[in-house]
Amino acid sequence: MLLVKQGDAAAFTELVEKYKQPVMNVAYRMLHDAMEAEDLAQAVFVQVFKSAHRYQVSSKFSTWLFTIARNLCLNEIRRRTRHRAESIEAPHPEQEDQPLRQFEDKQTASPPERLLHGELKAKIEEALAELPENQRLAIVLCRQEELSYEEIARVLGCSVSAIKSLIHRGRETLKEKLKPYLRSGAWGAPE
Amino acid sequence: MTHDPIYSHLRELSWRRKLSNAEEAELRNWLAAHPEAEADWQAEAGLNAGLGRLADVPVPSNFTARVLQAVEREAVADLRRPQGKWLTWLWLRWLPKAAFAAVIVGVGLLSFHQVQAAHRKKLVESVAAVSAVSSLPGSDILRDFDAIRALNPTPAPDEQLLAVLQ
Repeated sequence: MLLVKQGDAAAFTELVEKYKQPVMNVAYRMLHDAMEAEDLAQAVFVQVFKSAHRYQVSSKFSTWLFTIARNLCLNEIRRRTRHRAESIEAPHPEQEDQPLRQFEDKQTASPPERLLHGELKAKIEEALAELPENQRLAIVLCRQEELSYEEIARVLGCSVSAIKSLIHRGRETLKEKLKPYLRSGAWGAPE
Repeated sequence: MTHDPIYSHLRELSWRRKLSNAEEAELRNWLAAHPEAEADWQAEAGLNAGLGRLADVPVPSNFTARVLQAVEREAVADLRRPQGKWLTWLWLRWLPKAAFAAVIVGVGLLSFHQVQAAHRKKLVESVAAVSAVSSLPGSDILRDFDAIRALNPTPAPDEQLLAVLQ
């Protein structure tokens, strides 16, 4: 990041390559629209480049990056609320029973297994999408192994205990909604 | 759900990452001693597995190239409209503050000016009042002023007369 601060394009390219996947994941899980998530992820990196001079070396880059991503996501969500814009991929009222978009499962092999896991993932995506924004973001960031609870707290601008409470409440809601699947053991043991 | 610190700690660790073998063994031991928490752990583990299986969102192969192009576009746009941008920044950021400061300074100057004018008017009025006096006594009248002043202006009371009157 220090090189990026000095205007090093190669270093910036490296940063984009390293973080594009986690930023896309966070953006998609906050916005539920692949195209908008892509545009937002792009805006996040442009913002990183433009604000590089303001980056404090004392803070971790990923914390700063996800803070920018969070702010842009919240702006987008607020803009949507104001304009009541409906994206092409967002579920329309008549399509509410349809699952959210699914992505290719690279972890399972056979077609029946893919079908089962595809359905389960769709259920998880749906349950996640219904969580309040801060709980959803805390849970999504929690899966980024690179971020500690302290760093997640910094991204969301609250205390560590508040973050744990948010995650706990979010997970309780998810467990309640996914109870039949959790009971059936369809997801198996933790990996 | 249990609030046991060992279980809470291990559960919070499992939210973020897979437990190590030692942590897993510690959890198994703890669950053996607290079988009532087994169902809660199963739900936690199932949710961890489910969240862990969420697929990565596909990133277009030209994503990085598009970011770099966007950065370049921004840089060019910034160069093209530095004055406009500066003026917008000035307008939004400093002009309201400057206007407020100007109003305060203006009101201050106006008040000062009015106080000065009122003071000057009073002075003029008092000078006019003095000049309106047509004649003043000559300086001869003040010749024995100090001697007269030194005299006791009031005679001592006539004690006898006062006694008679009473």
